[in-house]
Amino acid sequence: MRIRAAVSAALASAGILLVGWQSGVHVADTRSAVAAASTGNETAGTSAGTGSSDTSGPASSGTSGSSGAAGSSGSAGSSGAAGSSAAAGSAAKAGGTYDGDIVQTRFGTVQVQVTVKAGAITDVTALKLTDAEGRSMQISNYAAPILRSEVLQAQSAEVQTVGGATVTSNAYLTSLQAALDAANL
Amino acid sequence: MQQTSEPRHGLRARTFSCMGTVISLTMPAGPHKAPHAADDELEAATAVVERLFARLDGTFSLYRPDSEASRLGRGELGLQEASDEMRARYTEASEWRLLTEGAFTAERPDGILDLSGLIKGHAMKEAGISLHALGLEDWCLNAGGDVLVSGSPDPGSGEAWRAGIVDPADRRTLLAGFPLGGLPGGLASGLAADGGAPGNTASRSRMALATSGSAERGDHIWAAGGRAAEFWQVSVAAADAVTADVLATAIVAGGTAMLNRAAELWDVEVLAVRRDGDLLATAGFRR
Repeated sequence: MRIRAAVSAALASAGILLVGWQSGVHVADTRSAVAAASTGNETAGTSAGTGSSDTSGPASSGTSGSSGAAGSSGSAGSSGAAGSSAAAGSAAKAGGTYDGDIVQTRFGTVQVQVTVKAGAITDVTALKLTDAEGRSMQISNYAAPILRSEVLQAQSAEVQTVGGATVTSNAYLTSLQAALDAANL
Repeated sequence: MQQTSEPRHGLRARTFSCMGTVISLTMPAGPHKAPHAADDELEAATAVVERLFARLDGTFSLYRPDSEASRLGRGELGLQEASDEMRARYTEASEWRLLTEGAFTAERPDGILDLSGLIKGHAMKEAGISLHALGLEDWCLNAGGDVLVSGSPDPGSGEAWRAGIVDPADRRTLLAGFPLGGLPGGLASGLAADGGAPGNTASRSRMALATSGSAERGDHIWAAGGRAAEFWQVSVAAADAVTADVLATAIVAGGTAMLNRAAELWDVEVLAVRRDGDLLATAGFRR
């Protein structure tokens, strides 16, 4: 039951994510959006193309969690989320990484990748997103907490210039930049 | 950042004081020039940059009673009568104020127009244009901790300039590094060699790195609403000096909300140090 609950929770969140993405998808593209989470890189060999009609997928595999996902798709007025939940449901049994179709949204071009491990969706990422000008961008370039050991490192002996909050002329005299400048005079 | 050998031909630097800080121009000596010719070229280039900074400081400094900015501040001059340059920078500052939802503003709490948050970045941009006009492709300009580069420290290699960012807790040590400039295929572009992270492939277009702090010069950045700044230090890497400088200032003033807005709306990388020393970073600052 615990595994089932985890799968259900994962499906529910995937459904909500997809509904979120789908809010920007044109009506004509709904079916390809449905396929986004399922088709493409079918490494697990499941019948991922079962598509939107297979609403029994989440109903049979899931408990209250997955019906929650179906419910949220219903409120969005599209069969897409339910269908992708079904596809993800079959994916969940197999495990692997699934690349979706490239979908046009009002935010630009989106391609979704879902990673399934041990029956749970562990990651949903956007592989491809371009803005209106066709410029590649990340779906969300955001600043995350990071340990000092995880940041790009630099030793003062290896750099050619030093950035920092503006130093006064007096503070400059004792700064690393002053040492670099003096070395290159 | 693994590359530790210095460029084969060495770097030369010249400095001058302006805008209350020290500005340095660093150039590779170059393989095809006699040392004296390279020195002359650097001297001439520094003189051009210094004149440009001095002229802008003479117009926009509020520390100079005779500047146009000071006369505006005292009400002796209205914006309508102000110089084209003053009005152009005022317009630019107003646009940034809108774009940052007020986090960047050219108006001091006492109501005085203060364009100094924009002028250093603007001066660096103008200096870059002048250096390119002189035919100089490889240089690094550092204005009191804000950096603008062109080309490479080792001409022709495509190698990026390596910039360090000081640790605000200990200014003798570096908190992080960041590659600026360089060319595709250059040694430092190994950072993006995996090709997997979209954030890193853009590192070659990062020419400018600006850092703002809330602990320097007696808290010269005011947080929105008069509260204490959330960040101790914020560094922004961008394609141009003005964007980097303005957004670094805006994030210190506007906190996490402005940081998220900047990362989402602009093509920039951000490294922010919280008051307690914890770090926030966009993907480009991850190793």
